[in-house]
Amino acid sequence: MADTLFTNVRILDGSGSTAPYGGSVLVRGNRIREVSRSAAPPTAAGGGTATVIDGAGATLMPGMVEAHTHFSWNDAADLASIQTMPLEEHVLWSAKVARSYLHAGFTSCLGAACAKPRLDVVIRNAIEKGQIPGPRYLAASQEITVPGGLGDEMPPHLPFPDFSFGQVVNGAEDMRRVVRMFLKYGVDSVKLNLSGDNFVPGADAKTTWMTDAEVAAAQEEVRMRGKRIIVHARSCASVKQALRHGIRLIYHASFTDEEALDMLEAARDEVFVAPGIGILYALLWEAERWGVSHAKAVEMGYEEEWAAACESLKAMHKRGVRVLPGGDYGFAFNPHLANARDLDLFVRHLGFTPMEAIRSCTLYGGQVMMRPDDLGLVKEGYLADLLLVDGDPLADVRILRDGRRILAVMKDGVFAKAPPLAGERPLGRMLERTA
Amino acid sequence: MADVHFTNVRIFDGGGDAPFTGDVLVSGNKIARVVRTTYGERVPPVAGATVIDGAGAFLMPGMVEAHTHFSWNDQPSLDSIQRMPPEEHILWCAEVARKYLDMGWTSCVGAATAKPRLDVVIRNAINDGTIVGPRYIAASQEITVPGGLGDTTAPHLPQHEFAFGAIVSGAEEMRRCVRMFAKYGVDQIKINLSGESITGMPSEMSQFTEEEIATCVDEARRWGKRVAAHARSTWSIKQCIKQGIEVIYHASFIDEEGLDLLEAHKFDHFVAPGLAWLINTCHHASAWGLTPEVTRKMGYHRELEAAVESMKAMRRRGIRILPGGDYGFAWTPHGTNAKDLETFVKVIGMSPMEALLSATAWGAPMMRLGKVLGYIREGYLADILLIDGDPLADITVLQDRKRILAVMKDGEFHRAPPLQRPGGARPPGGAPVTRWAT
Repeated sequence: MADTLFTNVRILDGSGSTAPYGGSVLVRGNRIREVSRSAAPPTAAGGGTATVIDGAGATLMPGMVEAHTHFSWNDAADLASIQTMPLEEHVLWSAKVARSYLHAGFTSCLGAACAKPRLDVVIRNAIEKGQIPGPRYLAASQEITVPGGLGDEMPPHLPFPDFSFGQVVNGAEDMRRVVRMFLKYGVDSVKLNLSGDNFVPGADAKTTWMTDAEVAAAQEEVRMRGKRIIVHARSCASVKQALRHGIRLIYHASFTDEEALDMLEAARDEVFVAPGIGILYALLWEAERWGVSHAKAVEMGYEEEWAAACESLKAMHKRGVRVLPGGDYGFAFNPHLANARDLDLFVRHLGFTPMEAIRSCTLYGGQVMMRPDDLGLVKEGYLADLLLVDGDPLADVRILRDGRRILAVMKDGVFAKAPPLAGERPLGRMLERTA
Repeated sequence: MADVHFTNVRIFDGGGDAPFTGDVLVSGNKIARVVRTTYGERVPPVAGATVIDGAGAFLMPGMVEAHTHFSWNDQPSLDSIQRMPPEEHILWCAEVARKYLDMGWTSCVGAATAKPRLDVVIRNAINDGTIVGPRYIAASQEITVPGGLGDTTAPHLPQHEFAFGAIVSGAEEMRRCVRMFAKYGVDQIKINLSGESITGMPSEMSQFTEEEIATCVDEARRWGKRVAAHARSTWSIKQCIKQGIEVIYHASFIDEEGLDLLEAHKFDHFVAPGLAWLINTCHHASAWGLTPEVTRKMGYHRELEAAVESMKAMRRRGIRILPGGDYGFAWTPHGTNAKDLETFVKVIGMSPMEALLSATAWGAPMMRLGKVLGYIREGYLADILLIDGDPLADITVLQDRKRILAVMKDGEFHRAPPLQRPGGARPPGGAPVTRWAT
């Protein structure tokens, strides 16, 4: 593979602690070989064999990391409509979404649950062997839940597990069996639903229903195989339960109290919180077309949860807890590819500076992908996952949502989206057969 | 979508005449204009059209594969195809669909799928743009009888999920099975009427009762579906003609009576022999333990000789023989399909012109797109290949991906012709190529 040299770029290194600077970056193989601050090309670029990308002042930054991804959510308005998609179509849909995330600038995604047992694993494997294009991916299990909890979509008169969105377990031994099944299938993460959700009747966001024995059985199995538990935890009690069991990736964490915040702060070097606030915002303000008017959303409790989540997350951010973007995208009212909006919500509602918002999907992103030493920064020796962005994300983080402003996406040293070639512009008359 | 103007090309239009120099204008998804030009004549540019200077390249209709199995996964046995999990299987099918288009097959006729819905899902995903692939006719699984070709269940594992085909016994089970595939949305029902020597049931042997076959044909007709048959044995071929099964796959052991019958109904049937399977099983499968001695014992050498004679006889009688050779086994890997055209010329005695027609003009009605596909003519669908070389002089150029310079399907380039760099070739060891600058 030829080297790639980005010249004349404004480097936003993703560390959150270095102001952007002009320079050039040399990529060799799948890694960043040299980063130089001056306008002169790096010393290692000798020989003139590199493909040179003249950035003309564009921003070069690390590929973004999505911490809460559901490739298999199919932009439907409810869980049942996601679940009833047939298996074959569901795989092709997931493949299509994976490709679109990569093109949108997400070079890594952390699966937060899939809708049928093997979807995430199959997509991860297909990406890794080069069969389909997609981000680096950590594959999740289905959501594991309890009878009547979030994810149990079986109607009372059709009590068949195939109708259920999640895997329904009852008791520690049942939990152990299901966790072992997912580990057999090859997941990287096992997802537990510890709390409810406001769109589930009778199991709202403040409810907490898994027993400690069930959670402990899951944790024991997962630890034995070196994998990770990730949890849906909106209620205060579920956040504390997660922390008590040593769970290190907490989704949502809307409701907290002083004790919960103290526990989070005490574990801040190990724990990640990905609130997924995009979906709260969307349900509250943008879901009317799908039957959820603002008034209805308020009635369902979303206004209360939004306010609580903003307070909780602001407090976490102040206490140095790592809060990451990834917002449960893949619903009709919160569709795929709007994901980078999370960064804007972080800035506007959670008290983040733009630099902190970027850091949450770069430096922290590499950490949550379990590659803290070589992913998430524009730094020598790191993996060459890079974006070339038209504009300054620090001046306006919203540009990262705009596909046209993402000029190029490189993953593992290869362009997933190549920058436009100067010579391609006058395409009409220039297309000729090469001799 | 911008119009595309191919200039300076040698046009093979599918009509059977020698190619001529000219230019072709594509507008939307159709061929808008075909013009003959004389030597040195400059064609006036068309406003707004992307110009492709073919520099004398050969322009022909996209090819039609008449016997396609996207879901066969280049494995050595039916069982190892069947064992692929459905999630991986659908991704495999998508990958193969793209490969066929890459190799110039802009239309494919599904000849059977390995799990009930694979073909239907792939066809739909191609049509709605989720994946890229040829125009596609979706098939059912192979319908067979207990113990017949496609029954891969083991006596101690009788669950139907283990079966490669859909197993029925009796007319009413056949009816239920055809109805199920019609519900799933297939275009074509596949029925196995004869054996297949490698499975232990000789190719000369037949299966199904006339009543079961009649039920299959009747039920398919009610739903507007076409029937295609795996028919190697003499009896099975005649059943196709007697019962009105339009697509006859293989037809190795046809006899005089069968030839007379088929000739009398030659515009009611398509024959796709799938010779690559026979040839490669006889001669190119030793790496998988199938040495010529083994396959001779199985009866494949005898069948190959019979099939070659049958195809020669059919050709003399003007019966349409189409390419498509059961690709997707370990020794007939996907993507090598154009070998069939070489076989037609070298073994069956077709002229290169006939071989090209079999892959283009004759394939269009097989796709149920007669009068709109298969020709480079005004008003026809713009499925177009640009070839470096002359397939009429050397039919093998169609097997080489590099010689297929461009593939257009429905007016859009799947593979655009290579771009000549504006500045010409890169100076040796010199200036780097700049990709982006404003």
